[in-house]
Amino acid sequence: MAALLEVTGLTTKVSGFTILNGLDLSVDEHELRVLLGPNGAGKTTLIAMITGQFKPVSGTIRFAGQDITGWAPDAIFQTGISRKFQVPNMYETLSVFDNVMVSLRGRRRVFATLFQLLRAPERDRIWDILEFVGLADKANDPADTLSHGERQWLELSMLIASDPKLLLLDEPTTGMTESDKHRTAELIQEIAKSHTVLLVEHDMHIVRQIGKRITVLHQGQRLAEGPLAEVMSNDLVRQVYLGKGKFQ
Amino acid sequence: MVRDKAGKPAGKPRRSIRRAPLFPFWAVIGGAALVASIGAYPYYSTNIYVLTLLGKFLCYAIFALSIDLIWGFTGILSLGQAVYFGLGAYMVALSLKLNYALTHPTRFGNKIPDFMEWNSLTQVPGFMTPLYSTPLAIAAALVVPTLLALLFGAITFKRHIYGVYCAVITLAESLILQNFIIEYQAYTGGFNGITDYSNYVGPSVLWFILGVTVLFVIVARVLTHSRVGTVLKSIRDNDLRAEFMGYNVANYRIFVFCVSAFMAAAAGGMYAAWVGIISFLNVGPIFSIEGVIWTAVGGRGTLIGPVIGTFLVKGAEAFLSDRLADWWQIIVGALFILVVLVMRDGIVGTVMEWVQQRRRGSYRQILADADRTAHDLQMDWRTEGAPRPGEEVR
Amino acid sequence: MMLQSIMTQFLSGFSVVAILVIAAIGLAIVFGVAGVINMAHGEFIMVGAYTAAVVGKLGGNTFIAMPVAFIVVGLLGLVIERGIVQWIYDRPLETLLATWGVGIILQTVMKLIFGPELYYAGAPKILNGGFHLIGRLPFPYYRLFLIIVAALMLGLVFFVIFKTDFGLKVRAVRRNRAIAGCLGIDTARVDMMIFVFGSGLAGVAGAVLAPIKSVSTTMGFPYAVDSFMVLVLGGVGNLLGVLAGGAVIGEAETVLSFIFNNVIGQLLVFLFIVIVIRIVPRGIFGYYERR
Repeated sequence: MAALLEVTGLTTKVSGFTILNGLDLSVDEHELRVLLGPNGAGKTTLIAMITGQFKPVSGTIRFAGQDITGWAPDAIFQTGISRKFQVPNMYETLSVFDNVMVSLRGRRRVFATLFQLLRAPERDRIWDILEFVGLADKANDPADTLSHGERQWLELSMLIASDPKLLLLDEPTTGMTESDKHRTAELIQEIAKSHTVLLVEHDMHIVRQIGKRITVLHQGQRLAEGPLAEVMSNDLVRQVYLGKGKFQ
Repeated sequence: MVRDKAGKPAGKPRRSIRRAPLFPFWAVIGGAALVASIGAYPYYSTNIYVLTLLGKFLCYAIFALSIDLIWGFTGILSLGQAVYFGLGAYMVALSLKLNYALTHPTRFGNKIPDFMEWNSLTQVPGFMTPLYSTPLAIAAALVVPTLLALLFGAITFKRHIYGVYCAVITLAESLILQNFIIEYQAYTGGFNGITDYSNYVGPSVLWFILGVTVLFVIVARVLTHSRVGTVLKSIRDNDLRAEFMGYNVANYRIFVFCVSAFMAAAAGGMYAAWVGIISFLNVGPIFSIEGVIWTAVGGRGTLIGPVIGTFLVKGAEAFLSDRLADWWQIIVGALFILVVLVMRDGIVGTVMEWVQQRRRGSYRQILADADRTAHDLQMDWRTEGAPRPGEEVR
Repeated sequence: MMLQSIMTQFLSGFSVVAILVIAAIGLAIVFGVAGVINMAHGEFIMVGAYTAAVVGKLGGNTFIAMPVAFIVVGLLGLVIERGIVQWIYDRPLETLLATWGVGIILQTVMKLIFGPELYYAGAPKILNGGFHLIGRLPFPYYRLFLIIVAALMLGLVFFVIFKTDFGLKVRAVRRNRAIAGCLGIDTARVDMMIFVFGSGLAGVAGAVLAPIKSVSTTMGFPYAVDSFMVLVLGGVGNLLGVLAGGAVIGEAETVLSFIFNNVIGQLLVFLFIVIVIRIVPRGIFGYYERR
């Protein structure tokens, strides 16, 4: 089975620094892949590259058989990739409902949205998603009145609404309380049943809860890859992450 | 809302979206009252001065409305909106002037506008001859500025140039057009502008302008209330998120910029026909920025706000600037500062906020907020006897 | 013959470049560090010019007027920063509007104080007259003085930004405001000092530019627009940007205005800037921020 996402030899420079250095990575369909790595390893940059925020110096990105290297972000979205930012990014003055509505997969062109009305099945879908993440009772509230955890969930629900083939989640549990983190992990697991997910995480409890296959990045290259236990017992990984110490 | 121990809502919540209606009752009533009072003015007063002001203010109001579309709803601050107003105005004025000259030849018998003769032209330049035809002139006044806006948008927005850079570039654009018009006085009347042509003043023209204003307000409302409007607002709030959610942000900006330019051009054309004199002042940065302040004072992002703001500020100017002379300018300057520091939502915006506050019920809101924070911190802050969530607050 | 004329225009354009650099540098450092555009920048220059006129009336000359104007307009900048700008650093577009209001007030106040007639601030006698550059081109000493002042101002700013403690803090805040704050740098104070410094430089610009034309309450606006264009073209956050922007715009405007006329020259320069911006959205020497 060909991989859904294939990154080959990706090299990027940002502000003169080489962040990604010949990175190879492939994610299969319906996988839940966790991306680990110390700060500066290039995890967010990789996601930025895949979604078209920067152009690489060299290398290719293939998605569903198409070469999407260097495409514009809105074009890449159309191929079925959705990205969640590290800091929750949403439309502050719009209501929760509208945030999700605007993210539904569907018409994007100016004249197509000119007379677009919200149809019943779409409305139901939005409510389903909001109930799934637990924001249904806040549907009419403006997005900027949400708490931090709720904002992360809102962005998550926006991603679900966009019905992508591949979800790129960049540290979706940052700043959350313990119980919220648990909840989020459950949500992601549920999402991963029908989508492909590439998850960047730092919290090892979450990783242990849902991570099956791990890729560890270091200095812009792939350091190790495999099941959780195998990666965590890798000496190189331990050194890079923790110095020479015991991993709990 | 009843909650269980874990803080999750018990029972299935109702699925209802609270949306403002397309034409809220108060807006229709208020708007009708406004339109009626303006439209009936010729009947209860014969004051030509005020009549002229009303027509002018309506054109200014459309101008402010066009600024609100791009600034209030999409977040683009253009300090050169007068370019489109002025181009529309000049085309109409030129057309009227050319036709006027046909029946009012100059001292030397030439049927050309006086400013052309002063600059030693003997004939109307070829590229202006289409303006003799009124329908063509109107079409040109509407289409040319819109095309210019399209060009400008394609150049700047496609390259993600917005914010302060866009503001500065539009400012320069406005200044350059102003200088152009002053310089090429043979074609534009230069410093004096275009004057002395048959202008159309009268009740029926006022109603026409009023009708166009109402039409534009309705169109703007439909646009901003529609899906496009929601997308524009999402671009205004977070263009990064919108782009990565598949929206071509540049195209949307270009679209709304062109609509706005069209409206401004229409306003300019009507203005030229109504007032009977236009000059470089209608084209330059000062007029552009004035439009911004009317919008801000009235309330950006509210559509009616800019209209009200225009009438308020311009009305105040009409009555006060004679008496106060230079001090009026100081008030205007202070207005800029106030609107930014204190009255960010403008008059209409502040009123709307206040109404929303009252509808939500502030004490309930404070409790709800506290509940939310407590849930996040996993604390129970309530002391014995304090009202629980969902309990009636007396 | 035409080519030689263009060459002489090019050389005389150096003083135009100097004028642009002098006018823009105050704005550049404020915009570069705090990200706000001071629309009253032109009026600050105007106040500096009036200061020079007053100094002249009291018997001083341009050399004395320069530091006096620095202090006067610097203080003015302090008042405005503390009163208005400090609350709206996070909203650059609105700072534009608020400072435009400040500009209007300044213009009107100066008109009320000094009246609408023009003032003249003469150049110091020592700088009167000139020499001949390449045979036919008369080159007034004052223009040479302007070039020197421009170089000095660039040098001064360079010194402050790169060789002083304060400059180190400024550079830190410029690079990464959040971390700089965490490291104990009072970013609000840095913003304030930079605004005052920039205002002072605008004052000096006014004092130095006053003898060129007459001093009036509306003289500032064209300088402000020119400064904006210098920044947009040359890029922000970099002294080279001010120099590059000023050089390109100054020379282009001088030569093109000679070939065509002033207005077409302006238009062509504007179009050129727009084209350059398409290719390098943040200016020639600006850096493209990570979105």
